[in-house]
Amino acid sequence: MTKIHSAVMKDHDGNWRKDQRDRQRVPAITNGRTNPAKPSINKVKNSIESMALSPPDSDVVKKKLEQNQMKGIWSQSGGNIEYLFCKVLLGVLFALYAGIRYVQYEFNRIKILVLNLAYNPSNSPQLIRQDVMKLEKLPRRLAAILEKKREGDVGGGVSGILNDGSELVAWSVSAGIKHLSLYDYDGHLKRNVDDFRDNVFHKLSKFYDPKNVPKFAVRIPQWNKVYFNSPGSEASESKKVLIEISLLSNRDGRETIIDLTKAMAELCAKNEMKLSDITMKLIDTELIQLVGHEPDLLLYFGPSLDLQGFPPWHIRLTELYWEQDNDQVTYSVFIRGLKKFADCKMNVGK
Amino acid sequence: MTDNNTFPGSSQALNFCKNVFSRALRSSNNVPRHIGLIMDGNRRWAKRKHVEIKEGHSAGFHSMSRALELCYEAGVNTATVFAFSIENFRRSAIEVDSLMNLASSGIRQVVQNGEMAEKFGVRINIIGDRSLLPEDVLREVEAAEKITKDNTRAVLNLCFPYTGRDELLQSIIRTIDKTQNKELNFTNIDEAVIDENLYTGGSPPVDLLIRTSGVTRLSDFLLWQLSRKGVVIEFLDCLWPDFGSRQMAWILLKFAYKKFYSASEPELDEEIEGQGDSYSKSKQF
Repeated sequence: MTKIHSAVMKDHDGNWRKDQRDRQRVPAITNGRTNPAKPSINKVKNSIESMALSPPDSDVVKKKLEQNQMKGIWSQSGGNIEYLFCKVLLGVLFALYAGIRYVQYEFNRIKILVLNLAYNPSNSPQLIRQDVMKLEKLPRRLAAILEKKREGDVGGGVSGILNDGSELVAWSVSAGIKHLSLYDYDGHLKRNVDDFRDNVFHKLSKFYDPKNVPKFAVRIPQWNKVYFNSPGSEASESKKVLIEISLLSNRDGRETIIDLTKAMAELCAKNEMKLSDITMKLIDTELIQLVGHEPDLLLYFGPSLDLQGFPPWHIRLTELYWEQDNDQVTYSVFIRGLKKFADCKMNVGK
Repeated sequence: MTDNNTFPGSSQALNFCKNVFSRALRSSNNVPRHIGLIMDGNRRWAKRKHVEIKEGHSAGFHSMSRALELCYEAGVNTATVFAFSIENFRRSAIEVDSLMNLASSGIRQVVQNGEMAEKFGVRINIIGDRSLLPEDVLREVEAAEKITKDNTRAVLNLCFPYTGRDELLQSIIRTIDKTQNKELNFTNIDEAVIDENLYTGGSPPVDLLIRTSGVTRLSDFLLWQLSRKGVVIEFLDCLWPDFGSRQMAWILLKFAYKKFYSASEPELDEEIEGQGDSYSKSKQF
């Protein structure tokens, strides 16, 4: 079925820069200073005020409230009082929630701080190796969702996400993981693939002997391209690599599945394919070719889990790991994710 | 599970609290519209309590109706429940049988007693690969759908036997079939078309998933729907039979609070420097 593959690839190829959809895409949600989960006193005040004073902006709510008025417990006193009561109660609930959440948030931040101090790789593969040796099993394929932070923040902007990505590569190489997929919604990594390769090379030469930096390959499934090592050194090297890095974006998720459907529909229309040919196995092999294999472990470095359009076919049995209220790409999250994976028991269907 | 609370009138008081709470939440206008539930941990619960696995499953069923009651009361429109995976057919024949029995008697109970179905006007929808069901269960299922088909207030999707990849595959096949029949041009295939042809086609988009028993995997449930940006995923450590209205209430409150603030404080778009400059220049001239 290479016909399908080539049809989809043709679609992807070449004009990605002109692709309007790529340009119109909104920037990824940043989790820097304005962490929406972070509570503050101001928010509580705001919430109570707007809860109590602002009228509902949807007709559905109005209608529902009118219905409630008929049978409500407060029906004698009229709907307005009941409505006000609801809003006040909601304000109180939100205030209570914000209070509890604030304590939780501070607790989690302190926990993360302590963990970051406890797990410190300090650029040495030996320490990482020691941590990994204690684990029973390692994921064969690791994936991570990265986010671009605000330009002004520490570790923000495109250079921040490139740095985060290359750090993850260095840890994975040290841990002995052979396949790493890096996902970011807008595809900043794959658009700056040369910078990324440079970054990875520098990071690895900090970890290892600069004369003998581990070889790596960067694969971009969307454009069907593979790059070896840092720019300028690809020709002289052999193709044996220690780690293969795939760079994914939102484009490799649903849109690739849609392209695949289109390609198959076209082939069906030309009678080159029958409807009964479309099986789970066929789609699986095609998507493995187009995107890659399913990862065993997916790490997320944001405050609360959001898959952000990660390829849906590829998260069937993937173990998900993230640290509550964390917003940094740190080694402690990485190693704790590996630990969680080593401890989990997989029993499909049972 | 509240009946060990023997203080007179306490259950009424509890009910009253639940009522008031869900009404308050509903007035926030930030309630999830479509909830996904993976009810994990029934068997472990049974083992821990030294009762039969069957009883674990039926405790799970009660827990489900408790959670759903609060959800519908608070204004959730659709709930999709992972009742039985295609992979579950790998379990022992006895357990598969008892699960099938439980499901069909559960469905019958919901329909006949009609408490939940009547109170909330729940329409029951069985989604999944029906060809795998035994004939008597299939009949039960179809009867349930027929009886509740006129209810419009809320929908309960029972995934029975279901997997997310199978759903996606069926949607792709259905879409291509439509292009074959000239109902659809293949250049018009997009996310919305695939969405429509999924089993959950007519429902609003899923915006919250709850999974219990500390497992942090999706296990082939609603893959396409849950990978969408902005879907809230909650993994809880408690086993499903221990999951009560309190946990449900907390999750709903959390969801409403989060949505309320992401709506009232829109993310400021990062200003692209070049654009900002050219704008100020054009203003000057």
